Amino acid sequence: MKKPYNETWIINLNIQNISQSWLKKNLITLKQLEQITTDFPESFYKPGIFVKTGLFLFTILAGSFFSGFISLFFLENSTDKIFTVISIVCAICYFFALEYAIKDRKLFHSGIDNALLYMAAVAALVPVFLTFDHLKIWQYCLIVLIVNSFLVIRYADILIAFISVAALYVMFANIILASPQLKPILPFCLMLISAIIYFLNQADYGLYYKNCQLVIKTVALMVFYLGGNYYVVREGNALLADLLTPIAPQIPFSALFYILTTTIPLTYIYFGLKNKDRILLITGLLTTAFSAFTYRYYFDIIPMEIILILAGFVLIILTISCIYYFKTARFGLSDEKSEGQNIANLEALLIAHQFGQAPTGDHLNFGGGDFGGGGAGNSY
Amino acid sequence: MTTKSILESFTQKGILPEEQAVLITEYERTKSFSIHRELRAILYLGITLLTTGLGILIYKNIDTIGHQAIIALIAASIIACFYHLFKNRQPFSRGMVINTDQFSEYILILACTLFLTLEGYLQYQYQFFGTRYGIAIFIPTVLFFFLAYRFDNKAVLSMGITGLASWLGLTISPLSVLEKNDFTAPGIIITGIVLGIALVVISWLSEKNDIKSHFGFTYMLLGGNLAAISGLAGLFNNDPKIIYFLITAALCTFLIQNARKTQSLIFLLMGVIYGYIAVTYAAFVFLPDSVLAALSIFYFLFTSLGVLFFLLNVKKILGLKK
Repeated sequence: MKKPYNETWIINLNIQNISQSWLKKNLITLKQLEQITTDFPESFYKPGIFVKTGLFLFTILAGSFFSGFISLFFLENSTDKIFTVISIVCAICYFFALEYAIKDRKLFHSGIDNALLYMAAVAALVPVFLTFDHLKIWQYCLIVLIVNSFLVIRYADILIAFISVAALYVMFANIILASPQLKPILPFCLMLISAIIYFLNQADYGLYYKNCQLVIKTVALMVFYLGGNYYVVREGNALLADLLTPIAPQIPFSALFYILTTTIPLTYIYFGLKNKDRILLITGLLTTAFSAFTYRYYFDIIPMEIILILAGFVLIILTISCIYYFKTARFGLSDEKSEGQNIANLEALLIAHQFGQAPTGDHLNFGGGDFGGGGAGNSY
Repeated sequence: MTTKSILESFTQKGILPEEQAVLITEYERTKSFSIHRELRAILYLGITLLTTGLGILIYKNIDTIGHQAIIALIAASIIACFYHLFKNRQPFSRGMVINTDQFSEYILILACTLFLTLEGYLQYQYQFFGTRYGIAIFIPTVLFFFLAYRFDNKAVLSMGITGLASWLGLTISPLSVLEKNDFTAPGIIITGIVLGIALVVISWLSEKNDIKSHFGFTYMLLGGNLAAISGLAGLFNNDPKIIYFLITAALCTFLIQNARKTQSLIFLLMGVIYGYIAVTYAAFVFLPDSVLAALSIFYFLFTSLGVLFFLLNVKKILGLKK
């Protein structure tokens, strides 16, 4: 399928970014970088995150009032059929606007095209849902999956990619739950599906889909972990069986799930560090936090505050020794500071948001703030 | 596409000589994987867990552990933190200070958090400040401002500004300005506008006189946000509306203009969004009904298209470099 975004420019953009990082390491000279920029040109319109947000919001606003404007013509009778017509008209307009915006204004995931794409996708799906209103969940998911897959292949948008994968999972889960033979092994089925998705996704589909692949990879890793997590399986089992007991009953193979809860995050972290794969590493850290929560939930022996103090203490000691240890690079790992002044600015505000509440007389606030956020929060 | 293919195309086009390409290949092969951010995130998490845990522990055992013992322990920790800070301090400078000690930043935050704990404890147990809560908030505020400037720390500066705002009865944190402030309370809107504008002015002055000009961002973000939201709240609830409208509009114009100087375009976004809300509301309040009836169908469609056009061409219109 022909792609709306200029592929050569995407490749050139990547080349320029890599060259920028080489320039920072003094591997190439400024003059060489200029030469590279002229030899590998790109002229995408790429605003910063804040302008992008503004563009996104106001496109949504304009789009919604456009659909309102269209529906003014059909005010007399508001049946499902009329609504279907309005949706189709809107969807067509949005897609035209989207193609025009990409081709003519040279947008590249710059807010406007994202917003138009999402609105077009919604407007295109509404008639389907209105026409077929007695389908099973998996059939709806299949429709969503098919439509969104086409959109992903053409526009390579990360949210659409995420929705496609989510629809895929819900579809399979729904099918599995409907069959009595497969229902008991739902966790293993989900893990198997995740593994298949992960390995299919490992192939190189080109730079055009790089970010989509990262999203799909993250989702696959997360679902694989959650499928093997003891807490999710036990509580999910109780939920699906409609058991209203205060404590979810024990599940079969509990030992296996306990082992999986421990080993999956550790494996993620190990391979993340070994293969220099940041997605694996961060997923590993987040899932470690969830595993800690799982164990704490079922083994409520030590009081909370002791655990917090011990965990905090261990984490501080561990990180400080790591920071010292990796001062010089070892095993291909280092503690080198990366760029990003804007993140530093926002980080400061987050810290103030969390710690900064001054004591207000009558009500005591022991400095700490909440300890939620489950895992490596502040920097991402 | 790999590094190798990129380098090959570079050497073919004669941008890089062969030897340099070999050098870069070698660098790419041996380059290390930085876990700096991950380690810092875990460190923050550790500090949060530890301080929370200590807080709960003290709270639960308030009757069994001697009060003096707890206070002494916290005070000793604070002193230890400050000892480390002053031992590794850098000379004061009006510009940005890069501290060679890796942990100073975190220890400073820890010390400030502990100080708040200590003060809260003293007030809870001994009514140290009696009913004069103002002083209880004012002391850490002054301390945090001093520490922020002395040790050049933006996080502590934000904590100081937060303290200053809560001394005046306001919540300033951008994530909770709307939900935590009760804008129907009398006077709070005026306070919000005055404090917000004062912070914006401080930001402008710091940048103009080059006193810790990198603090400008923090002042501007917190102050601008507070002032704009207070101004909008005033516009919605209070009379005379025209005054609140003019204040908000002036502030938004300033924020948009300011994007020309500052690196970050976040102020541009704030100015555009708050300005749009203010102008839209004002249009619906001030315009006569006959005009409105004709306008209302097209208003949002065309104004939002107008804003989109402005944002798309913002670099040309404002003459931004970036």
